[in-house]
Formats: sequence, C-alpha cells, structure tokens
Amino acid sequence: MKPGALHPRDVADKSPKENLARAIAFALEIESDAVRHNTQTFNANRYTALERLEDCGALKDRARAIKEESIRRLPELVETLTRTIRSRGGNVVYARTKEEAAAYVREICRAHAVNLAVKAKSITTEEIGLNSVLEADGIEVAESDLAEFILQISNEQPSHFVTPAIHRSRERITELFKSHFRTDRPLETGEELTEFARDILRQKFLSAGIGISGANLVSAEEGALLLVESEGNIRLTTTLPAVHVAVVGIEKIIPSRSDFGTFIELLAASATGQSLTSYTNILEPPLPLPVLNLNGRTDAAREFHLVLVDNGRMRMREDPGLREALYCIRCSACLNVCANFQAVGGHAFGGECYSGGIGGAWTVGTSGDVMKGRFAELCTGCSRCVPNCPVRIDIPGLNTTIKERLLEAGEPALQKKFFAHFSSLARFASLLPTLANWVGARGVSRRLLELLIGVDRRRVIPPFARKTLLRQYAASRTGATRPVGGLTRKLALFTDVYTQYNSPRMGMAAISLFGKLGIPVAPTGVMEDGRAALSQGLVESAARSARNVAGKLEAILDDGYDLLFAEPSVLAMVRQEYSTLIGDEALFGKIRAHCFDPVEYLNIMIDAGELDVQRLMPHAGTERPPLFYHGHCQMKSLGIGMEAPKLFRRLGFTVDVSSVECCGMAGSFGYKKQYYEISKNVGRDLGSQIGKSVSASPGTVILASGTSCREQIGADFAGGAVHPVEFLDSII
Amino acid sequence: MLPAAVEALVGEFRKNAERAASTVERVDADAESVQDALLRAAGGAGAVLLAPPLGLPPGILNGFLEGPNVITSPSAEDLATVRVGITEAFCGVASTGSVCVSLTDGFTGPISMLTRTHVVLLDPGTIVPRPRDLFSPTRGPVKFPRNSFTFITGPSATADMGPLVRGVHGPGRLHIIILG
Repeated sequence: MKPGALHPRDVADKSPKENLARAIAFALEIESDAVRHNTQTFNANRYTALERLEDCGALKDRARAIKEESIRRLPELVETLTRTIRSRGGNVVYARTKEEAAAYVREICRAHAVNLAVKAKSITTEEIGLNSVLEADGIEVAESDLAEFILQISNEQPSHFVTPAIHRSRERITELFKSHFRTDRPLETGEELTEFARDILRQKFLSAGIGISGANLVSAEEGALLLVESEGNIRLTTTLPAVHVAVVGIEKIIPSRSDFGTFIELLAASATGQSLTSYTNILEPPLPLPVLNLNGRTDAAREFHLVLVDNGRMRMREDPGLREALYCIRCSACLNVCANFQAVGGHAFGGECYSGGIGGAWTVGTSGDVMKGRFAELCTGCSRCVPNCPVRIDIPGLNTTIKERLLEAGEPALQKKFFAHFSSLARFASLLPTLANWVGARGVSRRLLELLIGVDRRRVIPPFARKTLLRQYAASRTGATRPVGGLTRKLALFTDVYTQYNSPRMGMAAISLFGKLGIPVAPTGVMEDGRAALSQGLVESAARSARNVAGKLEAILDDGYDLLFAEPSVLAMVRQEYSTLIGDEALFGKIRAHCFDPVEYLNIMIDAGELDVQRLMPHAGTERPPLFYHGHCQMKSLGIGMEAPKLFRRLGFTVDVSSVECCGMAGSFGYKKQYYEISKNVGRDLGSQIGKSVSASPGTVILASGTSCREQIGADFAGGAVHPVEFLDSII
Repeated sequence: MLPAAVEALVGEFRKNAERAASTVERVDADAESVQDALLRAAGGAGAVLLAPPLGLPPGILNGFLEGPNVITSPSAEDLATVRVGITEAFCGVASTGSVCVSLTDGFTGPISMLTRTHVVLLDPGTIVPRPRDLFSPTRGPVKFPRNSFTFITGPSATADMGPLVRGVHGPGRLHIIILG
C-alpha cells in the first residue's frame, strides 16, 4: 500500500511491529513538513521565553519537588480533594478503569437528558475513549478546541499534547473542510477557517447541556482547577452549561493552589513559548454564579462532577521504571525539542493518544501493554529533552526501560545485540583490520548484514584503523614532553572502544595537542563504557560495564588525574547516565567533577588564568578559514555545546554554529535499516545549514565533536567534518 | 502621579500587554475621561454589555452608565449577540501584561468571553509584579482577591488552523484602560 493511502488511526496501535514502519513511511511522506515547521517554531519560542523567565532553574526545581511530593502523597491527596469538593456541593468519583470513567460521564448525561455535550481538549478523555462511549448512547459530542474539531472531522488521533493537529498544514485543513462541509464560505486562510469553525461551535456552546473539560492541575486543599488555554473554549465549556464535568488523571493533583504560582509561568513558557497563554483559568467549581441557561434549558443550579481517573496510574506509581512519567505536566517541550519528533510527529512517534518521548511511558503505563510502547524505539537517547523538561524528567531513561521490557517480552534482539556488543566485534576485527574492512565494504557482505541484522547498506560502516590508539601511542612516545611552568594538571585520555579501534586519530590529536602545551596526556586502557548497550535497552549489560569502568576511573581520579574524552557520547555516559547506573552517588560526583571534553578543558584553563590563549594561536601567517561548528546533542545537554565556538572565537576565527538539536545519526540509530529514512530526513536541516554556510564562505571547515555527527555530515559533504581537537592540533 | 514603584509596574505592564497584542490606554480617573475612553473603545457599537465594577471608585462610570445603549442586566439574547463588553479587572500583572478578571461576580465572566471586543478597566494600584503573586499568602496589593478567576493575556488566539489567528471563541480584541 502507498503510504498516502493509509489512515493514521490504522497504525495508532504500535503493538503490531509493521505499524511502526508503516506509520513512519506515512508521516515522512504526508505530515513531516507541517510537523517540522510547527515544532521548530515552538522550540525556538520556548528558548526565548525561558531566557526571559530569569529564575526558571529555581522554578523547575520547585516544580519537580512539588510533583515528587504529590505522587508520594497521592492516596492521601485523593482523599483530601474528594472531601474538599464534596464539602462545596460538588461530586467526585474515583474511576479505577477507563471504562468506569467513561460510564460515569455517560450516566450524568443520561440523568440530565443531555443530547449535546461540548468538550474542551483533554488527552485524558482520549485515553478513556469517552467520545465513542457517549456517541454510542446517542449523545452528540462537540469538540471545541479547534485542533480537536479538526481531528473529530478527520477521525485522526492527536499527534501532540498542546496542538493535537500539529501534523496538518493550513492547506490540508482547507482540503479537509471543503470535502466535509458543503459551504460557499471561503476557507482559504487561517482567519476564514477559524471564523467558520467558530460560528459552528458558538451554536454548539449556546445549546449544549453539559460541558466536559480536563484540567492541567487540581489542588487538593481548595479543590481548585487550573485550566490553561488560548482559544477561550475552555472558559465557555466550563461556565456556560449548568453542568460541568472535569475528567482528570489522579497525577494532576497537587497539595495546594499556592503551588499554581510555581507552574503557570513555567508551563506557558515551556509549552508555547509565551509568558502566559491568553487564558489561565483558576476555578473552584461548582461556581457560585447564576445559571445562564443560554441553551434554553431550565437548569436550576450549577452542578460539578470531578472524575478522577486512575486507569493504571497507581500501578505506574508503584513501578520504579515508569513512576517519573507521572510528574509530566504535558507541556510538550520534549516533543518540540526532539529531532525525530520534528521529522515525523506523533502519528509515528506516538500511540493511540500519547506521543513523543514521554508518550511511551504513558502508553505503556495506562494500557499495561509494553508492546504498545514500541514507538519508544524512536528515542535515540540524544537527551535534548532532559534539560528542557520543566520537571526534570529523565525521559530517555523511561524509554530505555521500555526498550528493555520489549526485549524481555520477546522482541527479536539480534540487531540490538549487534550494536550493543560492537566492542567485542571491534576487538576481534582489529586483529585483522584489513580483512575486516574488506568484508565490511563488500556488497555481498553488506547485503548479508542488512538482511540478517538490519544494518542499512547505504551507510558506510566505520573502518577499523590499521593501528589502534594504544599501539600508536606506544610507538609515538619519544621521551617526556617538555614540562612547562605553571601547568600542574595531570591528565589522562579515556580510551573508549571507538577511539581505540576506529578513530585513533582523534585520540592521538588530543594527546599531541596537550603535549604541545606541555601537558603530557597518557591514554587509559581500553574501556567499554556501556553506552552502546544502554542505547539498545540492554540495561543490565550497560550497568555491568558502568560499574566496571567507574571502579577503574576511581583509581585514576584518586591518583589526581583529570580525564579527557574525545568522544562526547562516552563523556555524556559517564557524566550523566552513570548517575543511575553505578549506584554510588559519591563516586558519581567525583566522576562528574573530573571528566571533561578536551575543548571544554582548554577553556577552563584559560578562564582560570592557567593557560595563555596566545599559546593556542595558529602559526604566524596561517590563514584562518571560516568555521562551521555542529554541537553534539549530548554535549549540549551537558551544557558544553558552545565550548568549541567559544575557544575558536577566542583564537580569532569566525564560527557559524548549527541550530539543530541533533544530527539525526544518533549513534547506531541511523545505521538501522528501519530508521535510515528518518535519520536522513532529520539530517536534512543540518545539511542545509552547512550548505548555506559553505556556499556563503567557500573554504569553510566543518567541525563536529561527535563521531556519528561526522558520519552523517560526511555522507553529504565531500571532505566531511573534523573533530575540533584534530583541527586545532593541525594548526598550532 | 503614583509612587515610583507603581509607575514602574505600570510601565512594565503596558509594555507586556502590548507585546501580548492587547491595546492599552491610560486616562484620568474621573467620570468624564472614563466616559470618553469607553465611548471610543466601543467604537460606535450599537449596544455594549457592562458588568458594574465592584472595586473601582464609586461614580467613576457616571455619565457613561446613563448612555442609552449600556446593558447591565443582559438577557440570554444580549449575551449571545452583543459584540462589545466592559468589565473591571481586580488585578493586573506586570511581567505578563495580564488582567485578572473574576469568574464569580455577576456577568463579569460571561461578558468578558462572549463578546468580540473586551474592554477592561484597571486600577494601576492593583498591579502585581508576577503571576505567582496572586497565589502568595499576601497577594500583594490585590484588594479583593477571587478564588475563581482568569488571567487574560491578550485576545483569544489559535495556531491550530496554520498561521496565528486572533479572535477565536473569546474576544478578538482586548482593550485595557488604566485609570489614573
């Protein structure tokens, strides 16, 4: 079947394996442009908004603490909230399952003889399948959020939390409306489409007998709902009809409305990049306000029902692998910042209602079916979501849990094991590199590799070096390097598997560069850091490697050494992922404080006044070519994505910097046959930025610290990219 | 002239309200100036809905209230059809340019959301620095805090139909009149 003939609903459930592949093909062909444009706009706006929110770091800490406390006290908060609402004359029901929740709402509609319900956007009502339950009972449901209005017509599942129809361009909305409505009204511009939908919905608002909403947060002490929106439909839904039903997941309960102050600015900035959206509503229903009865009914009093939805949440709370997902406030920052999400959106990177990086845990948690969370495979672990999450959720960690459980549930593991155990392969291949490279480059073996393991044959497999790093180092030692006064640092280079077997030159460049500055750098023994296993979901194997490496690092650090890492994904592994993997907080703190990117280290020495920047200046008379720098995703998440531009600008270079979140290769991800197209699609943005820079300034040298970034760039640009350290070593 | 601290808040409020696509004007806090401003804001609309303010100086709407087209007790039909609505805000927020409007005082809520143009009367003395101040125990200078209210930040808007469009289910125009 051609992808264009597919309906997204058909592949919403990702438990059949082929659904993920079909959804990716469909999304890349039909939805990619709209999703990319919209998510990248939100993404850029979020950065600007958070810069304006000067204490956002403190707000995030506070928000995280409130959510942790709320989930810890959840059973007690449910009781308090129930008491509060009832004491005010409202009704509360605790629905253990989605069926119970939907049936309760249906009974309210029946009791009031309602034939039209107007509804505000609520992902929780999607989760419980509310619309189909009401419609089966003959109750018309009018979705009043314009995105939901679109989806109700197209019968598509939401593809994003904040803007559920983000996958539709204006043109595709026009097309949909024209085929659905018989109208002479013009439907070509955003204004015309909005006015058309508004008029239809205004009539629904004026005649609906009941309003159904969700809530962003609910406070237990005061029974206050926080409802954030821009269109005004939530205000109409919650106050025009006499009967208001709020369907709310129990994880939205926080202790007190005074905590709303922590969340509202953070949420608006993280979600849409605004200081506040048009309407931030605080309601303590039932409202002490006369019934308007604009619908012609004669309802005597306002009525409020709070439907608290469990549907797996208490189970998630008891599950250490998924519990953190309950802290989510649905801002969508992790969707907008994600390079893969920007390329395909939530119809591929998502399930039946939850999408993106956080969506896997929610899909698995609420359905109880790990297979439905298969789209978590689209999380590459690039970690760009981590510093962008307002409640500091370890989203890649949640997805690693799902990957691990998919394997435990019997998913085929050959491809994962191939990439996870690259080190054994590398060690073996390095015995006879020429033979291994010959095999790796042969068409017939590449076809076999693709067929058996799913390594895409359009990718170049990194060749094995003829001489490993440690052999090159041993051969290069010609006595002690010149000691230089004032430099007291003791430095070692972490010898990761890739640097040892495939790319010794970046390791040798670091050794040479620091040697020229008078600081001897010796490489450590080869260590398997565990990154490869972790990114495949082989958590136990990764943890074993991590503990092993941490033990060796401790001995080196205790000798007073700082460690340099040529490969940023390995540096991020020890500085970030080891926090949970090695189970030793004190040791982790030591590792984090003493492991560095080489360029970061140079900047630290310069900033500390230990290193005169003049010593890094190019040889007299050396031309300074224009530079283009692409920062590695995980380096950016560590907060060191701008170290290289900082250094080269200090040295008088002009540096153009990529603004993409990730190159799209993301370690082994881009090698996998099933993800080759996404990977190339993501890489398009970086490619066009480099292209622009190179054509504006011929002779531009492309710098990239990440090995897989250089692979991705090298596929499109002759000459490829070089590691900043290699470049620096070549000019001084 | 207000104290310097209040003036600073007014300045920031105004800048941020305009950034959020509200229009803002500042008039003297007397009945005649307010009447002029309201008539201009109504822009010749046939009828206007008015939610009588509770926190503003008594008499501030003298003159305007006597106009023939001012509806203070709207019928269902008025609420469904009249295009201009006037309410007070019980508070303003400087860092966001928001006005806080009660949802439980008479027709203040419905008038502020069912009309196409919402005109807000704001006492500059009630402006707080940040949204979070509404949730602090003291609530700053807010004289009459409400439990159910909405921070209104610019006109209603959507990006769901592609480009940004102002004026969706709520008003497409938000005009703020700062009194004094």
